[in-house]
Amino acid sequence: MNEMKTKAGGGNFEVRDYLRLDLMPHFMCPGCGHGIALRALLWAVHELGIDKDNLAIVSGIGCSGRVGAYIDANTYHVTHGRPLAFATGLKLARPDLKVIVITGDGDCLAIGGNHLIHACRRNLDITCLMLNNEVYGMTGGQVSPTTAENRLTTTTPSGNSEPAFDACKLAEAAGAGLVGREVTMQTPALRNLIKAGLEFDGFSFLEVMSDCTEIYGRKNDLGESAEMIMAQKSDMRPQAYTTITDQPFRPNRLVTGVLAQSDRPEYGATYRRQAAALRGETA
Amino acid sequence: MTATLQNLHGNHACAMGAIAAGCRFFAGYPITPSSEIAERMSRELPLVGGTFVQMEDEIASIAAVLGASSGGIKSMTATSGPGFSLKQENIGLAAAAEIPCVIANVMRGGPSTGTPTRPAQGDIMQARWGSHGDRPVIALTPASVKEVYDQTIRAFNLSERYRTPVILLFDQVISHLLEPIQLADMASLELVDRQWATGSSAEFAPYASTESGVPPMPRPGDGYRTHTTGLTHGEDGFPSQEPTIVTQATQRLLDKIENHRDDIEAYECHDTDDAEVLVVAYGISARAARAAVREARAMGIAAGLFRPITVWPFPEDALKAAAANAKAILVPEMNAGQLRLEIERLCGSDVKVEGLNRIDGQPIDPAQVTQQIRELADK
Amino acid sequence: MSNMEIRFGGSGGQGLILSGRLLFQAFVDAGKHAAQSQSYEPTSRGGFCNADLVVSEGDVDYPLVSSIDYLVLLDQIGVAPSAAMIKPGALVLIDSRLVPAPPVGDFTLHQAPFTDEAIALGSHRAANVVALGSLVALSGICDRETVAAAVRAGTPKAFLDLNLVALQRGFEIADAMEAVDTIAKVVQL
Repeated sequence: MNEMKTKAGGGNFEVRDYLRLDLMPHFMCPGCGHGIALRALLWAVHELGIDKDNLAIVSGIGCSGRVGAYIDANTYHVTHGRPLAFATGLKLARPDLKVIVITGDGDCLAIGGNHLIHACRRNLDITCLMLNNEVYGMTGGQVSPTTAENRLTTTTPSGNSEPAFDACKLAEAAGAGLVGREVTMQTPALRNLIKAGLEFDGFSFLEVMSDCTEIYGRKNDLGESAEMIMAQKSDMRPQAYTTITDQPFRPNRLVTGVLAQSDRPEYGATYRRQAAALRGETA
Repeated sequence: MTATLQNLHGNHACAMGAIAAGCRFFAGYPITPSSEIAERMSRELPLVGGTFVQMEDEIASIAAVLGASSGGIKSMTATSGPGFSLKQENIGLAAAAEIPCVIANVMRGGPSTGTPTRPAQGDIMQARWGSHGDRPVIALTPASVKEVYDQTIRAFNLSERYRTPVILLFDQVISHLLEPIQLADMASLELVDRQWATGSSAEFAPYASTESGVPPMPRPGDGYRTHTTGLTHGEDGFPSQEPTIVTQATQRLLDKIENHRDDIEAYECHDTDDAEVLVVAYGISARAARAAVREARAMGIAAGLFRPITVWPFPEDALKAAAANAKAILVPEMNAGQLRLEIERLCGSDVKVEGLNRIDGQPIDPAQVTQQIRELADK
Repeated sequence: MSNMEIRFGGSGGQGLILSGRLLFQAFVDAGKHAAQSQSYEPTSRGGFCNADLVVSEGDVDYPLVSSIDYLVLLDQIGVAPSAAMIKPGALVLIDSRLVPAPPVGDFTLHQAPFTDEAIALGSHRAANVVALGSLVALSGICDRETVAAAVRAGTPKAFLDLNLVALQRGFEIADAMEAVDTIAKVVQL
């Protein structure tokens, strides 16, 4: 009866129905936020009734890149920084597939930064889930484009002196159709944000504030996973509260929810319409 | 559709060959002297239900091609030296994950930005060794506009049959050369489609060895839900660093090409049977060599031409047969002597191998080759 | 089997490639084997540009020129890359205003103000076709009507009328050269 549960949102959500259980135990460190993000993603997939056979997960290199392999779908683990470019080809060639990119702050914003801004600009129907743990975890804890200032990493022994990217502002400015951010502690809210992204007809960029307890947390004395997640929570405020006076007890660092949405045309449909016109076909 | 005569530039012939071969996806980035391939594809693909996309850079172009091909669509990109360098990592992914694709590299002078509008043949070794690690490679070197068309079709067929990237190497001269060519008769054209996985998905192992060495490819949407990765992987497609699995996986990639040399190798011999001076040349340099060999024969010199069309894997046995009576081998090429290394490796213990090399962005002309044939014949 | 080698040389943007392509088409239509190549500099406008043809009764072995039988030069910048390749006895046409220092050697040199003639017809852009007309008329390498058909088939619509007039003007210039023999003909031995 497992098959039944995977169809069209039928039945309760069982994460196991969407995982390659043969691969367990997984590679993630205790306390890593990526597992929560994975669960929220699969929960959203379940609730939307997306058929696993038509689901394509594309990921790059790094801790985020390894997450996709656990999903019981068509999974592609490609070169560092290039999952969005790979996904662009896949989605253009196969518009019938639901294409999700799982990437990280280094994969997406550093080595793959060019692809991100152009994926946003193109507005092809892809959902990009960027798991932001503020560090290059898999290679041992080097500084990333989202590492907060003054943080210690293996390549910033005196503290990071580079400013961090605000990935959501970047994505919005580059033209992404839908932009959102959520923390892992609010898993149902994260699920809802991912659903919004998956339902959106265009490019959706979703930043998930993950946490790297084992490497980044220890190096910076940020405590255990629970403490790191709570710290995110205390940094956060829903987008509905637009000014600092709404919730004066919270700083304004992490705005969450759907942060931007536009009705720009989806690129694939536009291209196919143009092509059909060239062939003399009517829409 | 019947066969038609058209006047085409090399770059346009490449695009039209791709369309004839069933290519329905092209991702590219502008670069001299290959841009007309992208331009032509942007016009042709929508007419046949395909997709063209100009990506943000060279790396994105090859990555998008791999994505589209993974989706089941025959796909290609085109570039020149600097872009070919940028694409190498993803060519490795295509080889490792066995994603069919065609990469046209219209060679110009290098290194670096080099001489963008001048021809060269300096990427012969990069085509072989450009991406890191041990990997299979097929590279083809057409020498005329007609052959660009035919070999582009063949590149797709080989790529599909062996699930491997195939590189087309030609140069600025051929890319902008206008020659009349006969387009393929689509009804009689042999086209190869990759073997798709069929049957039960329950025990399906996407990288299991088969008799041919080429596993059938699972198409997304067909229910196999497999994993594709550039990490070295076992038959189940999942990463492994276990020595026996790593050996098997890498060896199979190499064997599937090595064991099919007969099908993959292509070459042409002119007057080689009794040739005492054998010229080995490819691409535009082979056109000069052919004229030179004709002239040398008219002078009474026993000269011959061996022209590899498949340059990798190099047609080793055919070369050795063509060189059986040679007392000297001349390798004219527009680089400092890249293919000469391979010829020396294959024949150097028996016969003198000399290069005729131009690195000035000028094509080698027949008179130069004739002159050197004469000198070698007199020695 | 000997080849015929033809070059249109000058500066990028002068329409040399088009002239080469039109003449290529004329030869192909006349049943000849031909290959047309081009060499140019990275700048789209202003660098040297050559459009070359090799014409043969059989397959063209080597498609590039090395010993030019017919040379048209529309700009001084085209002289240097071609001077050493001119075959003894060749026919060379130059633009009398834009090539102030023509090549010197054992060949027949004709000069005419192709560009000024084109300007008089309406656009300097037609200088390439005026020169093409003169080359064909002077050399007899192919029929006037065959090259006119190639111009009709291969010219973008917007330039068709102009190019047909330009081609005709090129014929006339050549005919006048033959008739007068001294208008613009310089023979240097």
